[in-house]
Amino acid sequence: MGLPLERIPTTKSERWKYTNLPRALKKLDLKSASLGWGSNVVVLQPTAPGEAQYQDTVLWDLNTSHVSDVQFFTGNADIDVVARDGQWLSPRIVIDIKDNETVTIVERQGGQGSYWKNTVVQIRIGNNSTLRHYRLNDEAAGGVSTIFTHVKIGRDSTYETFSLIEGAGFVRNQTHAEIQGENAHCWMNGINLLKGDQHADTTITIEHQQPHCTSKQTFKSVLDGKSHCVFQGKVHVHQIAQKTDGYQLSNALILSPAAEMDTKPELEIYADDVKCSHGATTGRLDDAPLFYLRARGIPEEMARALLIEAFCGQAIEGVSDEAMQEIIREKVGQWLTSRA
Amino acid sequence: MIEIKQLKAEIDGKEILKGLDLTIEPGKVHAIMGPNGSGKSTLSYVLAGREDYDVTGGDITLNGESIMEMAPEERAAKGVFLAFQYPVEIPGVQMTTFMKTAVNSVRKARGQGELDAIDFLKLMKGKCKELGISDEMMKRAVNVGFSGGEKKRNEVLQMAMLEPTFAVLDETDSGLDIDALKIVADGVNKMRGGDRSFLVITHYQRLLDYIKPDVVHVMANGKIIKTGGPELAHELEAKGYADIVGAAA
Repeated sequence: MGLPLERIPTTKSERWKYTNLPRALKKLDLKSASLGWGSNVVVLQPTAPGEAQYQDTVLWDLNTSHVSDVQFFTGNADIDVVARDGQWLSPRIVIDIKDNETVTIVERQGGQGSYWKNTVVQIRIGNNSTLRHYRLNDEAAGGVSTIFTHVKIGRDSTYETFSLIEGAGFVRNQTHAEIQGENAHCWMNGINLLKGDQHADTTITIEHQQPHCTSKQTFKSVLDGKSHCVFQGKVHVHQIAQKTDGYQLSNALILSPAAEMDTKPELEIYADDVKCSHGATTGRLDDAPLFYLRARGIPEEMARALLIEAFCGQAIEGVSDEAMQEIIREKVGQWLTSRA
Repeated sequence: MIEIKQLKAEIDGKEILKGLDLTIEPGKVHAIMGPNGSGKSTLSYVLAGREDYDVTGGDITLNGESIMEMAPEERAAKGVFLAFQYPVEIPGVQMTTFMKTAVNSVRKARGQGELDAIDFLKLMKGKCKELGISDEMMKRAVNVGFSGGEKKRNEVLQMAMLEPTFAVLDETDSGLDIDALKIVADGVNKMRGGDRSFLVITHYQRLLDYIKPDVVHVMANGKIIKTGGPELAHELEAKGYADIVGAAA
């Protein structure tokens, strides 16, 4: 079975304007493979998520027609999704959180050599529950990793997620969140650390379908070399979703003149009593703090590292699990050291 | 001993320092006074090594060694310290982390051993106590949300921690009420003595009532135009800059 290149959107498609997936896949010589998880569980919802206006479910559809592995979780879990050279994988992870639960799931995405791993993570959170979903991406330089996360959030529940992309060949990290119960929260944070020819695309749609809910997105991107980072965040507030509080922030730090950041924040609001805001910045490190640190004897590279860590800090503060905060801080520190 | 000879510097093609000469002996406190736009702040930045300025001529030596080609961090390691007129806020960098990194960078460059966490905290707590600074300030991000007085006290604390041989205080009095000014001046006075030299840059004579200089210079149009004893500061306060600057022109 060859790669379904003809089904993959080109950059002519609006939501794929900055991420040329067909071009990345054409270079690869891959064979259908499996992670060895098996696939003998029931898939919660075989159809694509969202309403008719969200047609951007191609990753979901591609996964569905080529599911290679399935895992099913209802409680705390560590999941490794690691590809090997030459593999075309379509893993599906199903997470079903019942009412009144607090669950932490750590998902590690990685691989060796060249591969295409098109993961779907399908999540349902019941009422009065919290799911902390932490994703650590450390992909191979020759790997293509596309991830489609679909999450449904019930009443009085919280979906808290953090994505760290510190190694990427070519990554598209796409999330579609539906807030389906009142007083529910969707908190998404992430850090992208890119260098060389790496490409990382974060595309988010959050649908507020009920009143009195909040969504927050805080993403920090650091771009070195010739890397390319994309942030597309959409908050869709349905007419019924009064008292919505939606916030979206994307800050990018460009360390090299050859790096490129494309940001597309979108708010689509049909309710009249809501509070929604977004902010996006792309810039270099400020000279003034850098000089201040150096004037106190801190060598230039160390001063830069301190400032970059501080830049990332705001996204890490959104992680409620302190041990995970430490892990992320350490990984950011390691990335900075490896860069120098 | 700091010697500045025929120093010339420009920014965006505009010459600010136009051949400035100044020698400060070990252990002495010199003050530079001058009207706005005379180049006082430029001098302080050029001494500390800020790269926005093009230094087009002259030399700066510290104990006989030229520091002109040195990066800001190398100058700091050699003992140059600039207390900023406008201390920079750095969100996300905690004071303790900042100070520990700075102290250990400087110690390393000076061939002293780096301090471990415990020894560093001891040193910091001691200095805070000496200067009347609460430990709580050390848990905050660098200068973020600090009052004007706290920012300037923080500069003095950093100076005390880094133990410079030559400290430049750039308009340290700006934005301070009299009580804050006294605290800051006390901190500076505690550090006087030995071989440590100071250059106090100020617009007003007021600060010099608390930090008594050995020598006072008047700067105008990128040069030192007059030098005298402490009485020169009082003369300036009484007559204003116009007379002296006018007479020199």
